[in-house]
Amino acid sequence: MPFGALEEIIVLDLSDRLAASFCAKTLGLYGCEVIKVESLEGDPLRQWTSSTQNHGADDSPLFLHLNAGKKSISMDLCSEKGQKLLADLMKISDVVIESQTPGHWEEKGLAYNQIKNINPSIIFTSVTPYGQTGPYRNFSYDELTLFAMTGAMNREGLPEREPLRYAGEIAQYFAGNAAAAATASALFKRTLTGQGDWLDISIQECMAGHPHQIGRRAPYIYAGEPDPRSQPRTSASGAREPYAVGTFKCKDGYFSFLPLGPRMWPNIARMIGREDLMTNSKYDDTIKRSENKEELEAIFQAWLDDKSREEIFQAVQAAGVPGSPILEPEEVHKNEQFIARDFFQYVTHPSGQTLRLTGDPFRLSNTSNPSIKPAPTLGENTSQVLQDLLQMSNKEIEILTKEKII
Amino acid sequence: MILGDSKPLSTIRALELSEIWAGPFCGCLMGDMGAEVIKIESIQRIGRGPINPPSNAGGYPDDDPGNDPWNRQSNFNAINRNKKSLTLDLKTEEGLNTFKDLVSQSDVVFCNYARTVMENFGLSYGEVRKIKPDIIYMLMPGYGNTGPYADYRSMGMAIDAITGHSFLRGYPDMDHSSNSLVHHPDAVAATNGVMAIASALVHRAKTGEGQFIDLSQAESFMTHLGEIYLENQMQSYPRQRRGNRHPDFAPQGVYKCSGEDKWIAITIKSDEDWYKFKRKVGNNQLNTKIFDTLEGRQENHDQIDEIINEWTYPQDRYDVLNRLQSVEITAGVVLDCGADCYADPHLNERDFFQIVDHPSAGIYPMTGPIFKFESSNGEVIHNPAPCLGQDNSYVLKEVLGYGNDKINQFEADEIIGTVPLPGSDMGGSRRAAN
Repeated sequence: MPFGALEEIIVLDLSDRLAASFCAKTLGLYGCEVIKVESLEGDPLRQWTSSTQNHGADDSPLFLHLNAGKKSISMDLCSEKGQKLLADLMKISDVVIESQTPGHWEEKGLAYNQIKNINPSIIFTSVTPYGQTGPYRNFSYDELTLFAMTGAMNREGLPEREPLRYAGEIAQYFAGNAAAAATASALFKRTLTGQGDWLDISIQECMAGHPHQIGRRAPYIYAGEPDPRSQPRTSASGAREPYAVGTFKCKDGYFSFLPLGPRMWPNIARMIGREDLMTNSKYDDTIKRSENKEELEAIFQAWLDDKSREEIFQAVQAAGVPGSPILEPEEVHKNEQFIARDFFQYVTHPSGQTLRLTGDPFRLSNTSNPSIKPAPTLGENTSQVLQDLLQMSNKEIEILTKEKII
Repeated sequence: MILGDSKPLSTIRALELSEIWAGPFCGCLMGDMGAEVIKIESIQRIGRGPINPPSNAGGYPDDDPGNDPWNRQSNFNAINRNKKSLTLDLKTEEGLNTFKDLVSQSDVVFCNYARTVMENFGLSYGEVRKIKPDIIYMLMPGYGNTGPYADYRSMGMAIDAITGHSFLRGYPDMDHSSNSLVHHPDAVAATNGVMAIASALVHRAKTGEGQFIDLSQAESFMTHLGEIYLENQMQSYPRQRRGNRHPDFAPQGVYKCSGEDKWIAITIKSDEDWYKFKRKVGNNQLNTKIFDTLEGRQENHDQIDEIINEWTYPQDRYDVLNRLQSVEITAGVVLDCGADCYADPHLNERDFFQIVDHPSAGIYPMTGPIFKFESSNGEVIHNPAPCLGQDNSYVLKEVLGYGNDKINQFEADEIIGTVPLPGSDMGGSRRAAN
């Protein structure tokens, strides 16, 4: 297995926000050489959640995750010489990924429409909160406010309380992942035709065009169905079993269940050792089970009370009932499935600390994924990149260093 | 075909064997980018909702399931744009051979059913590559194709739970039994699926080799939570539930505006933002020195939230949005998926919705592709979701060159068809009623 699927593709990562940075990282996992271009001060994400930092490596966990495997080159992007250097790098790159407010690169002469004259096959991927056009294109954002604008937040939480965001930076990751998929698709066409492209990826649209959002928008436009937050254990339009839906407490934590359709009823009854319920006329159709939901939930809860998540997990798999234990994040890397698949990768950071990084989101049988390297320190690879890619001499690099361009 | 002006995947034919969300959305994104995606269905087993829903069932145009509810179901039609539909009974020899003939004319096969479904049809990767050595073949079960959970059933909720995301979501002052039933991970499997297939296509273009793609929906989603696992390792205290707050920002939250269930999300990112913000709010109670630092605002967050709510409560949410964004304060209105999104000026200006004429469901504005390419001037294609078996004739005649006699015989033998057989209803649709 000689090489990664995207080997020999040079990605210039100009991102300073999560989504675009994750897009570049994902491409790097499959063989692209990702060169992260930072200002002399460094990517602002190096300092993310600084108030909670108390570890050896200086950079934030978010930065260390997003930039694993990348090379870092730092330069003064405000100076003319720095911009000239960046133009030279864009000329020999295959992909540029950026996250600036629309119009930012035009001022520097480095927008797609300018760069394509010196590199017609460049793929220029712009990942921004609201896209390149439209009235919100310059809006300031973070995960919370952007998530609000996608349709997803309106359904998260309880009807009587304020709507919620998801945990994690979900909208931004999702858009970054989608951008990587679109970029890889553009790379495929480029391999056949040599043609470049400019991708306008809006984080809002990625999340508003997400299956769960379009799956709610269609019933609205077809039949005027509203889209409220619902009680966490209610069945949607009678589709799910009316009880045993949602998240329940058990002996050592919580367990989530989502039995779909009345055909699950006998499976659940058998699983909890109560086949007798199946012949009880109080429970013999979904409407009756819905009316007697409280009784059934009490029976179900009693069964859960003295069982561990692991015992329940075995039981649901044997019974064919969809469900899963809620793991604490700290338990995930100890889970037997992820251990068996060697999902987490352990790498040593220059600080000496061993970092537990997530591995590949998918595995390709015929190509090897290069083993993950730790995130670079600021400007770690500046000289090497300039020598290798721009064939600059030591002397030229020395001068740029003295002039504080790099 | 002039490749230069075409969509990125317009040279590709992909066979989709999938239902619900993850696989269908993967096919949808590929179709958006020009691939010919043929959805393999059957009249023996229907993944398009119930075949005889009650007349009051939700989710159909004007609440009317019509004579062919399987072609009118809202969820199905939303997520299967830009595809073709072929029905095939893979349990018959003719059906299976037809599928194999189609494989020989295709580039990609992907399936999001349980790991063993394809194997049981005799269509494992090993078998399929005998027919088409450079085929790209992807299976995307919940926990991947190896390991002790390889055959575990799963769905979005299970993945959300086992990755730790469920543990961290929800209201910090409530327990997990209040967690919502909406689950994000299926969609991540879809975007990673497209990424995987596109990467394998690049490799095939360079080397002529196909390959097998092992996609674990759990691992796919875990790459979106990487910093949380790292934090737990690097810091002395584990991440807790945060609700709408983030430790770097305060105040931050979702505040009530005028009207029923109307809200605005606000994030004050810096002290400078705070000074601008309190001038906008104009309440003297905010002019306390203690609030001028992040720590001070965090310690008094609930009190500050009350004052903000008093300010937002009588106002229209869009007014608050524009007032704050005009001075670069981070804010966003909470849009619902339906009326609010359709009315949003920004989404409309970017042509996020297209008028789609579906032969059975009718004419409606539907949500569009999410990628805009300069090479197509940002324009998108949005063909309606296919009716069941709509493209049987195209595939069998034009792609495979079968004669009319053979096709008629297939219809007579119920190998293909456009109407589900009795008993084909899986009852698995989220909109299924009794």
